[in-house]
Amino acid sequence: MELIGLANYALFMGIFIGIYALLALGLNIQWGFAGLFNAGIAGFFAVGAYTSAILTSPSADGRLGGFELPFFVGWFGAMVAAALIAWPIGKICLRFRSDYLAIATIGVAEIIRLVIKSEEVLTNGARGITNIPRPFGDLPYVQSQLAYLAIVAAVLVVAYLMVQRQFNAPWGRMMRAIRDNELAARAMGKNVEYRRLEAFIFGAALMGLGGALFAHFNRSITPEAIDPMVATFLVWIMLILGGSGNNKGAILGATVVWIIWSVSEIATDQLPHEYAVKAKYIRLFLIGLMLQLVLRFRPEGILPEPLRGDTRTDDNAVK
Amino acid sequence: MKSKFIAIAGGLLAATALAGATAKADVKIGLIGGVSGPIAAMAPSMISAAQLAFQQVNEQGGILDGEKLVGVVGDSACNPQGGTDAATKAVNIEGVSAIVGPHCSGAVLAAAGSVTIPAGITVVTPSGTSPEITGLDDKDTVFRTVPSDDYQGRALARTLKEKGYNKVAVAYINNDYGTGLADAFKAEFEAQSGEIAGFAAHEDGKASYRSNLAELASGGADTLVIFDYGDGTGLTILRQALENGFFEKFVGGDGMKSDAPINELGAENLATFVASSPVGEKSDSLDVFNEAYKAAGGDPDAIFVTTSYDAAFMLALAVEKAGGDKAGVSAALREISNGEGEAILPGEWEKAKKLIAAGTAIDYKGAAGDHNFDAAGDVPGTYALFEVGADGFEVMVEMK
Amino acid sequence: MGFLELINFYVIPGVVLGSIYALGAVGITLVFAILRYAHLAHGDLATLGAFLALAVVTALGLPPLVALPVAMIGTAAVAVGIDKAFYEHLRERPKIVTVMASLGIALMVRSVVQVVWGVDSESYVRGIVRPENYFGLRIKDREIYTVVFMIGLVGVLQLFLVKSKWGKAMRAMSDNPNLALLSGIDNKKVVMLTWIIAGGLCAAAGVFLGINTELKSMMGWHMLLPMFAAAILGGVGRVEGAVLGGLIVGIAEELSVLVLPSEYKAAMAFVILLFMLLVRPTGLLRGKVL
Repeated sequence: MELIGLANYALFMGIFIGIYALLALGLNIQWGFAGLFNAGIAGFFAVGAYTSAILTSPSADGRLGGFELPFFVGWFGAMVAAALIAWPIGKICLRFRSDYLAIATIGVAEIIRLVIKSEEVLTNGARGITNIPRPFGDLPYVQSQLAYLAIVAAVLVVAYLMVQRQFNAPWGRMMRAIRDNELAARAMGKNVEYRRLEAFIFGAALMGLGGALFAHFNRSITPEAIDPMVATFLVWIMLILGGSGNNKGAILGATVVWIIWSVSEIATDQLPHEYAVKAKYIRLFLIGLMLQLVLRFRPEGILPEPLRGDTRTDDNAVK
Repeated sequence: MKSKFIAIAGGLLAATALAGATAKADVKIGLIGGVSGPIAAMAPSMISAAQLAFQQVNEQGGILDGEKLVGVVGDSACNPQGGTDAATKAVNIEGVSAIVGPHCSGAVLAAAGSVTIPAGITVVTPSGTSPEITGLDDKDTVFRTVPSDDYQGRALARTLKEKGYNKVAVAYINNDYGTGLADAFKAEFEAQSGEIAGFAAHEDGKASYRSNLAELASGGADTLVIFDYGDGTGLTILRQALENGFFEKFVGGDGMKSDAPINELGAENLATFVASSPVGEKSDSLDVFNEAYKAAGGDPDAIFVTTSYDAAFMLALAVEKAGGDKAGVSAALREISNGEGEAILPGEWEKAKKLIAAGTAIDYKGAAGDHNFDAAGDVPGTYALFEVGADGFEVMVEMK
Repeated sequence: MGFLELINFYVIPGVVLGSIYALGAVGITLVFAILRYAHLAHGDLATLGAFLALAVVTALGLPPLVALPVAMIGTAAVAVGIDKAFYEHLRERPKIVTVMASLGIALMVRSVVQVVWGVDSESYVRGIVRPENYFGLRIKDREIYTVVFMIGLVGVLQLFLVKSKWGKAMRAMSDNPNLALLSGIDNKKVVMLTWIIAGGLCAAAGVFLGINTELKSMMGWHMLLPMFAAAILGGVGRVEGAVLGGLIVGIAEELSVLVLPSEYKAAMAFVILLFMLLVRPTGLLRGKVL
């Protein structure tokens, strides 16, 4: 194995980790801050990916599109579209508590997936959208990977700083208050429904952005990408394992889980040749087992939510 | 605690590095398929068929200077996430010279767009049938040995019409494979003044399709055309249609020409079932392959095994022809199978190797067709209609 | 379309499918009510049960219905084992942690099935069975078995919950865990019983799905969402509600073809569920609100 190959692989992992970290951050706003059990991440991911794809790709017969807008317009559009979709869903579903909300959002995501897969006029149906432009995609392989990683990292840093700021702001304290004791927050005169909806929409917008980054990276988006396992449950595993309620934890969780997910294949490939196919099943076992071990020994996540709220109060305490 | 994870990840990486170092002398070709995920039932035979090609190469003197040709299996899980991940590992960690796969169109599009086209690695998909693959801006590195759905759908429609099927209902799986075939079939069948008395997509993996079938049968057709996979949902549909007597005759695309219906439903119940599948043009390539694959313990009637084998064998020829130069594989691939030169049948590695060394032009005649790629890297394909006989599928008629 | 046709091709398949969903949904609803988390490995446990029965059928040449008890016991044992090995340590933690753990278990169980039995479609009995004609109703024997066994199993369970000491303990845990613990109920035994029942019913769901169609390594995972919809539709913690929910989801999926394009069939369960949650959040039979 050459070093440059390893570096390329690391670049690729970095990009995927960045994209998944965005999804996990979005989920952290919804679950970590506001306690909303959204199990329909794949739906918002898909809306974002397809919106950006339609806005930026060249025209093709038989489907909406051909706007060929610059990629950042597409990405912004993806956030707006995901937020717009989240608004009515949140309006209807957020009145359900925890597990009910989960099953309702799974249902909504499944319906979104079926619509994308079946409505050819809108999304080209099962065939998906191709020829999506990738920023700096004309550069040679390594350089273009590097450039894309830089973009993803920049987006992630901006998103992280903004979420972190909100988290430490009065808004974040209020959200946690609502999450931990809804009655008390309501008694304090907080508009609980409105705040929850706010968190749900912000989170969904980040998920939409993650979807757009994913589509542009692959230069294509197909309905197969909206699989609940890789687009919803995997993100949940990342957040819970990293530490819900902690933004750094969300990013770290994405990193650890994606490394386990991806590197486990290389590990199982070391099995003898005749088990080459079986190794892939064993890999899933290994992933499941790693998850059990981490949850067993670190059930509150690798980076747990900071106790007593936020860093600013900690600073005050020190002073 | 954090150090534990780092230790685990580090250990995995170290294990990889070690293995990578020992296997350096081999020439590798990636075999990326949907081992887990929706087509899990089809992937193992497709991969073993490709491995058969590599085994033949190794038994007949190896590749280049007698080096061993190794197939590196990767799991695309049939989705873009897994496809790009597996392709990245194959290209960068394993350093493959070319890739057979990925199996599913979505994974092909994503892996090509983000990994193999930028890295200049040639991929040949044995089963990605989406028309979108044709239109990829691929710098001539994306090929396929499976003909596009459009061609098969139209050929099947014409053949059925000739055979006297006038009124049919169509059930197709709601993915790129099913929609592509069904749309092409419908357009051609109606152009030939046949009547489509029912046309409906279905979602994969449900337990019951009886109401779908009842709805399709209500149009009054006596023939059901199924565009699905014979060891997946297609089997369920065929079973439920047979058991409830919704239709009398059944027609399948190449996905239905699988041994699963025969094994599970019994040949005696499939007297009125026919399926189309790609075959070689007037050559005994298919028989040669069938025999070799049977001898290796495989089942030649499994879906997409012929296209997988051809893709693997052709890539081996192309690597040999290009002298191991990864960037030259795609040009070499066109040279070894362009209809001119000495014919090479499946498994004739030793002969091909000598001819390549001598600089003679060769022309691979594959088990699933002649594979003379067009400008977009697609193959036109020749088809035959198969019926179920005493020992599995038998050719009934050539399709035009 | 005639009345008989509607019954034969839409309602009967719906009832059979619904019975299979119901068997899984009962287990889900019990775990939900007593242990208070969504168990995402339920579908894959059903797959395991179906393949355990296949092992008995192929090894001993028994009919699948005879293999059913073996599969149920085997799967129940596996379920208890999984709980002891993995879920037990997480009991004091937030429930979401266990939900994630169950997702990992789903992957592990599926992987075991794929390694041991492979990924090909299998069936218990080769060949096809044409339905019998009862006064115009076209029903297969195995469909009658499916419905009868489902009713029988759930009936026995209901009797157990109402009459027996441990059944009452389980209901008490579901209604008010603190009070139940205070009144001296052995939590460990209740948890174990819950898993025995849920695992056994899971296996039954898998076996009957296998009897009526084929066995595939992904069969259970595909059933998971409709089973959850059924459990919540009926009201969490209500066994008869889960049965009702299962039947409604099954019949609605089959009938949906009449009004919706067939590719949207899978969405039907959720449309009903969303509608029900809006008008009656406790479920049809007043389950508990989580």
